[in-house]
Amino acid sequence: MIEEKALTDAQLVESAKLNPESFGFLMERYQGSLFHYIRRLTQLQNDDVQDLLQEVFIKIYQNLNAYDSDLKFSSWAYRIAHNQVIDHFRRVSSRPKTNALEDYEWDKLIQASVHLEKELANKDCVEKIKSCIQDLPMKYKEILILRFVEEKEYEEIMDILRKPKGTVATLIARGKQELKKKMKEQSIDCF
Amino acid sequence: MKNLIQDTLNKIKQEHIAPEPRWKFLSRKIGIWIGIIAVVALGALVISVVYFLLAQLDWDVYPLMHQNIFTYGLSVMPYFWLAFLAVLALLAFLAVRKTENGYRFNWLLIVFSIAIGILAIGFFISRVGWGGRFNGMMMHQMPYYAQNVATKEKQWMQPEAGFLAGTIHTVSGSTLEIDDLNNSTWNVQLTKQTLIRPSVTLAQGQMIKIIGTRKDAQNFVASEIRPWVGQGMMGSGQGRGMMNNFIRN
Repeated sequence: MIEEKALTDAQLVESAKLNPESFGFLMERYQGSLFHYIRRLTQLQNDDVQDLLQEVFIKIYQNLNAYDSDLKFSSWAYRIAHNQVIDHFRRVSSRPKTNALEDYEWDKLIQASVHLEKELANKDCVEKIKSCIQDLPMKYKEILILRFVEEKEYEEIMDILRKPKGTVATLIARGKQELKKKMKEQSIDCF
Repeated sequence: MKNLIQDTLNKIKQEHIAPEPRWKFLSRKIGIWIGIIAVVALGALVISVVYFLLAQLDWDVYPLMHQNIFTYGLSVMPYFWLAFLAVLALLAFLAVRKTENGYRFNWLLIVFSIAIGILAIGFFISRVGWGGRFNGMMMHQMPYYAQNVATKEKQWMQPEAGFLAGTIHTVSGSTLEIDDLNNSTWNVQLTKQTLIRPSVTLAQGQMIKIIGTRKDAQNFVASEIRPWVGQGMMGSGQGRGMMNNFIRN
């Protein structure tokens, strides 16, 4: 078991194809990050996030033979989680919201998106910016979360969302622009 | 959290969930690429038809139609095929983007590769004559298509505009009797000024194109005669100076 823990993701994938127990190690490695990613994208309770995460793991397990080892396993797993979240919201016909972020996650997102230092912002101001971020379309919200909360590199975001690098860069820039526009519309001046 | 891992493993075992076989993913990938190749091949067939339609026309007659090269070009463009080609190219582009790693390719590289693919296969299809054959098939099967596409036949069956084409029935002195493409009979008068292209053979059964003036429903005065295929220049380097003046009494 200790030996299996030392295996790389790609080696664990090969092992999991033959033995489901090995898949447990992969789940152990990624359950935390995927749980938080799903929580950040949705407004679900922890139990519901866990249900969704289980669906993601089952999907990953069923698709193990489709995994391309040229890709980072984490990017591939995030991609499946992203698709599963989209499917989930399609099923329940509602738009995801991002008010499930923790305070430290909001700080990261706001600081990176509008270059607002935490110590310069008052609580009221931060609340208003949060409300603006919640109003952003899903495509901008998700990419800002991936970049500034998950701290993913452009290459990883490309692989997760299956979008060209230029499109990723454009979406990030437009997301920031949209946020600033919304702040201006609501006369939020925190600088 | 620990429960989630165990619960998931239990579910996998109890419900006998297994990784889907590799061949399934592989066949899906191969299927998509076969689809892309089929779309590119169809685009190649379309471009060979476009080439066939444009190459069969005589591009030096636009001054006689009181047009410049630009307006003439616009009037004979096969828009239906060009629009279809654009749709196919877009479809191929989007399909490549949707492949497993398609999002990683530079869009210019995809566009360039599709263009090269269409042109290369299109060149081959043109060489074996499938473009012309496909166009012929469309002309027979789809009357609406036949009415709306600019063809060599249409270009040369405008006697009122000075263009006539047909098969020589008899040659008598300076007069040719021809059956035009609609099977009407014409008497074509040749004069001392009539220019006959070098490769034209004025004999029964030969198909020719005539530039001139329509006198009435059956009479036409020729100012130039060309063979049905090509412009009758007999190879490169031979210009108007090489042409014969057909002079008969």
